Amino acid sequence: MERLYTISAYTENHPGVLHRLTATLTRRKINIESLTVSETEHRGISRFTIVVRTTPSLISKIVKQIDRIIEVVHAFVSEDNDLIFREIGLIRVAADDKNKRPEIEELAHRHGAVVTYATDSSLIVEKTGEEDDINSLFLLLEPYGIREFIRSGRIALRKSSETRELGSPSGKGEDIGAATVDFQQR
Amino acid sequence: MEISGSEALWRALLNEGVEMVFGYPGGAIMPVYDALYDFADDIKHVLVRHEQGAVHAAQGYARVQGRAGVCMATSGPGATNLVTGIADAMLDSVPLVCITGQVSADLLGTDAFQETDVIGITIPITKWNYQVTTAAEIPEIIAKAFYIAQRGRPGPVVVDITKNAQLEMLDFEPVSIQGIKNFDPNPSLNIEYVEQAVEAIKESDRPMILCGHGVLISQCESEVIDLAERADIPIACTLHGLSAIPSGHSKYVGMLGMHGNYGPNLLTNESDLLIAIGMRFDDRVTGKLDKYGIKAKVIHIDIDAAEIDKNVAATIPINADAKTALQAMLSLVEKAERPEWFARFAECAEKEFSTVIDAETNPTEGGIRMAEVISRVSELTGGEAILVADVGQHQMMSARYYKFKYSNSWITSGGLGTMGFALPASLGAKAGAPERKVVTVIGDGCFQMTIQELGTIAQQNLAVKIIILNNNYLGMVRQWQELFFEKRYSFVELENPDFVKISEGFGVEAERVSTRDGLMTSLKRMLDSDGPYVLEIVCEKEENVFPMVPSGASVSDIRLE
Repeated sequence: MERLYTISAYTENHPGVLHRLTATLTRRKINIESLTVSETEHRGISRFTIVVRTTPSLISKIVKQIDRIIEVVHAFVSEDNDLIFREIGLIRVAADDKNKRPEIEELAHRHGAVVTYATDSSLIVEKTGEEDDINSLFLLLEPYGIREFIRSGRIALRKSSETRELGSPSGKGEDIGAATVDFQQR
Repeated sequence: MEISGSEALWRALLNEGVEMVFGYPGGAIMPVYDALYDFADDIKHVLVRHEQGAVHAAQGYARVQGRAGVCMATSGPGATNLVTGIADAMLDSVPLVCITGQVSADLLGTDAFQETDVIGITIPITKWNYQVTTAAEIPEIIAKAFYIAQRGRPGPVVVDITKNAQLEMLDFEPVSIQGIKNFDPNPSLNIEYVEQAVEAIKESDRPMILCGHGVLISQCESEVIDLAERADIPIACTLHGLSAIPSGHSKYVGMLGMHGNYGPNLLTNESDLLIAIGMRFDDRVTGKLDKYGIKAKVIHIDIDAAEIDKNVAATIPINADAKTALQAMLSLVEKAERPEWFARFAECAEKEFSTVIDAETNPTEGGIRMAEVISRVSELTGGEAILVADVGQHQMMSARYYKFKYSNSWITSGGLGTMGFALPASLGAKAGAPERKVVTVIGDGCFQMTIQELGTIAQQNLAVKIIILNNNYLGMVRQWQELFFEKRYSFVELENPDFVKISEGFGVEAERVSTRDGLMTSLKRMLDSDGPYVLEIVCEKEENVFPMVPSGASVSDIRLE
C-alpha cells in the first residue's frame, strides 16, 4: 500500500546535490509530490524536504540510498503524524465586484488567512497551513472565481527528535557536528 | 610555488601515488597533456584507441592493484565515451578516478564546441563527481576524489576540469586527506549483531557462506576460510567472489548464480543460514526472490548500508567492513562438524559432473568446446594466471571451469555485463601486474566491440594472451533464443572478419585453431610466447551453458540440461 512520506535530508549546499537526490527517486519512477530546499541554521548546510507517495518497503531503501550520497549529511523519513508541517497557498480571487471584497476578506480572516495584496480586479489571499487547510479555503473561494493558485512545497519539523528514523544507518550522521545537533534541545 | 592548474593536477596525482594513467587527449584537456610532457618520467600514460578502452583498462588496473585506476579524456565525446565504463565500475564497486577536460568556465552552458554536461550525465553512475572551475580547487578535489573512490565501498569518481582551471596559476601545496565530513567509510561494528551471528551459526545445521566481491576488496579471504574451516561451513562464491577461495579448497563448493554450480544453487533452498559476505543478492544470484533461501535466516555483512535489506531481508544485518566483522566473529565462533551437509554438496557435485562437466571438459568428438578450452588453459597455467573474461557464454564457461589458485585473479564485467570489457581490461590488468600471466577469454561478438585496443596492446607490448572463442554467434543470446524463444534466431549470427589477419595487422602475433588435436599445441605456443598473442579457437557452433537457473525461476529449479 502506498503512503505519503516526508523525506528530510541535510546536505552540503552544492550544485548537483538536487540532481543526485532526485535521481534516486526517478530511477524507481517515484513522483515527487512536493520539494522544498533552503539553507538551515548551519551555514553551508541545506535541508531538503521531499514528499513522496510510495510503499513502506521502498521508502526505507530509498532513504538509505539518499543517505549514502557523499554530500548528504543525514537523511531520514517521517510520516505525517510525526511532523509539524506547513505549506503556503497564494490564491488570486476575482474581485471585480467591489461589494464582494469584504465578504472575501471576512472569509479569509475566519480561516486564518490574510489578504496580502489587492488590485482593481483581484485579491491575493495568503494561507499557511496543512495541505487540507489550503484546499478547504480554495474550495470556499472558488465561487468568487479563482484566477490563479499556487501552493508551496511542504516544510516540516519532527515533533520529537525521538521519531523513528527509517533507513538511517548507524555510523553516518554521527560526529558530523551541524546536522545531528538535537534541535529540540537547543 | 606558482604552477599551472595542469601541473598541479599531475603533482596531485603523484601525491596520491599514481603511477599509470590511461587516456586520450583532445581539445579541452590539451593543457593537461602539455604538462604531462614534463612528467613523462614519473607517470606512465597509456594512450588507448578509444576512451571506452581507457576506462576499462583503468578498471582492470584497479582490480589487480586494489587501488583507484585513473583514466583521462577530453570534453564532449571523450567524456561520453567513458560513460559505459563508469556505469560498469559503479555496479561492480571498482575504484576509479576519471578526469575529463571541460570547456572554459565562461563558456559553460553555451553549447560550446565539445561541451557536454558531464556532471549531469554521470550523476547516476558515480559515487561522487565534481566540476573544477578554478585552479585553486585542484589539489583538494583530487585528494578528495581518491579518498572517496577508494574508501568504504569503492566506486567511480568523475572530476571535470574546465580549461581555464587547467591554465590558471595557483600556489601549490600538496593536500592529503584523512577524512571527509559526512562520509564515514568504515561504519562501526555493532557487536550485538556479531554475537547474534555467532549464535545463529552455532544453532545452524546447514549454513552456507556466500562469498562476494567485498571479500576481495576487504582482503579478508583468510578470515572467510578460517570461519569455514572452524565452523565447517561450505563456501560458495558469487561471480565476482571467484578466486577469493582457491577452487580446490575443501570447503569451496562452487559458484552461485544463473550459470553457477548445481549444489550451491539447489541447496540455497535447503540451507537454514545464509552468511552473505560482501555480496548484494543480485538477481542473477537469487533468481526469483520470494523463492530464494526459503528456509534460511540471513546474516548479511556489507559495508554499504543501502545494500542491507535491499533485495533480501537480513535477519542479522552487519553493516561493517567484512574483515572487521569476520575477525570479531572468529574470536567467538565455535568449532563444528557438518559432514552430512557437505555430503549433500558432494552428491550434487557428482551429479553435475556426470551430467554436464565431464562431457563439456573432456569431449572426444564434435568441434572444440568452450569448457574444454578453459579446462586446458587452467591445467596449462596451473590456475596461476589472472583470467579476464568478457560477457556471455565464454564468460560463464571461464567462471565455471578455471581452477583459481590465487586470490584476485578473476576480472570480468558482472553487474553491467559490458560486452567489449575484456580486451581493454586485460591490458590494464597486465600493466598493473606485469609479473603475472594474464589470459583473456573473449567471444567473437565481444572482441569486435573494442578490437581497436589491440593497437594499444601492440604499442605497449603488453603480453596479454588473448583467446577468442569463436562460434560465429552471439552465443548467450542464441542460447536464450533456443531455449525460450522457440529457436527463432533473431540477429545473432555473425559473419566475422579474419581475426588472425586483423591481429597481425595490428602487429600482434596470432593463429587460428579449429581441431582438438591442435588445441594443446596452440595453447602452449600462446602461453609460451613472449609478447601479446591472439589465439582464435573455432568452437562448436551451438553450445549451451548448463546448469542454468532460467530467468525468473527459483534457484532450486536449476536445470542441468
